[in-house]
Amino acid sequence: MRSLYVEGDSRLHRLSPRIKLILLIVVSLALFLTRSPIMLGGAAFAGALLYGSLGMGWREGWLRLRPILLTIAVVALATLMLNTVEEGVVVLLRLTTLMLVAAAVTATTPVGSFIGEISSAARPFERIGLVRADDIGLAVGLVIRFVPEVVSRYEILRQAHRARGLKLRPMTVIVPLTIQTLKSADEIAAAIDARGIRGHKPPSRS
Amino acid sequence: MDVRFDQAGTSFDGRTAVHPLSLSLTERRIGIIGLNGSGKTTFARMINGLVQPSQGRVTVNGFDTGADGEAVRGQVGFIFQNPQNQIILPILREDIELGLRGRKLTRGQMQDRVNGVLARFSIGHLADRRVHELSGGELQLAALASVLVTEPPIVILDEPTNQLDLRNRTLVERTLRALDEDVLVISHDLPLIEDYDRVLLFHEGRIVADGRPEEVVAEYRKIAVS
Repeated sequence: MRSLYVEGDSRLHRLSPRIKLILLIVVSLALFLTRSPIMLGGAAFAGALLYGSLGMGWREGWLRLRPILLTIAVVALATLMLNTVEEGVVVLLRLTTLMLVAAAVTATTPVGSFIGEISSAARPFERIGLVRADDIGLAVGLVIRFVPEVVSRYEILRQAHRARGLKLRPMTVIVPLTIQTLKSADEIAAAIDARGIRGHKPPSRS
Repeated sequence: MDVRFDQAGTSFDGRTAVHPLSLSLTERRIGIIGLNGSGKTTFARMINGLVQPSQGRVTVNGFDTGADGEAVRGQVGFIFQNPQNQIILPILREDIELGLRGRKLTRGQMQDRVNGVLARFSIGHLADRRVHELSGGELQLAALASVLVTEPPIVILDEPTNQLDLRNRTLVERTLRALDEDVLVISHDLPLIEDYDRVLLFHEGRIVADGRPEEVVAEYRKIAVS
């Protein structure tokens, strides 16, 4: 399996995962407090500088963001067509900034640290019986773990199409990709069970 | 080990994967052989409770796989056929640590356990490596470490030498021989189990031979060519 984490020694790498997650939440909220294209443009520029400072090559940086950028472009285009040009630009800049900052946090934080932080954050809710904190952390960690896996499965399917001289069609990609991902999720769930990762109640011998 | 099947069998989608059987497994090293689809993996999964019997009962060291699932998984470590699916997180150290979360260990105790298991399999140098960069043999050792860090007394390995080259196969084989835990190995690699204490031969969901490796392997050869 591939990882979204990029090894490095940047300031962001050294920052505690908790602070990074809090900053991400603050930035996300702040982006929705303004509608000024100039301010959002500045934020997007700052986000790009932050993302660019992580030490990964431009090509890798671009490849990681490409699928999300495509989605953002579609959303911005739809907004532009259904509303105003300004509205479309605001959506484009806001989501792009969010993507850049989130990608920077993901690239500088190992999945294990994410799991630890999210589990700690959910602990108060566990105390009042609402959730199992470790499950929440594990679920978030698994989502992050699966993103590059789905991308690499897509790449394999694309190559398989090329090798057989087939045209890439949504149905011939989405169906096998979904089946493979669900199958893999099933196997991971079995591994989680087999390794006893979820919960450890005191045993009662029969 | 003390694994007992009491008229335990299982079926899925109207097909019997393992016919009801009664037996007890107490030897230290047990091999399971048989053709593809003969029920070996299902049988092994019944031992750690990943597959529940649709009839009868399975117990492991006194724990019922149905009623005490968590306790059973604490007794039995399971290494999957594809170790890629065994390893959940992308960095080896993180993945091994994951198995220790929720066990009320301090950070230091967790580190000690992780470093201990890495040293045990001589893979300390791989601790901070990405799992997808590891070779087949290293991956198998990594999967073993991720399971044995929780110190289960029994370990089940599903085709541990499958798709390994000779060097990696030898590495895994040597590691398995040195394990202190009780071992149950499903394998098509017959030399791997030739000195085991007991071998079970599965065919069409039933155990058709059970005994010393040489006798059971001879029986297997007859089935394979028939």
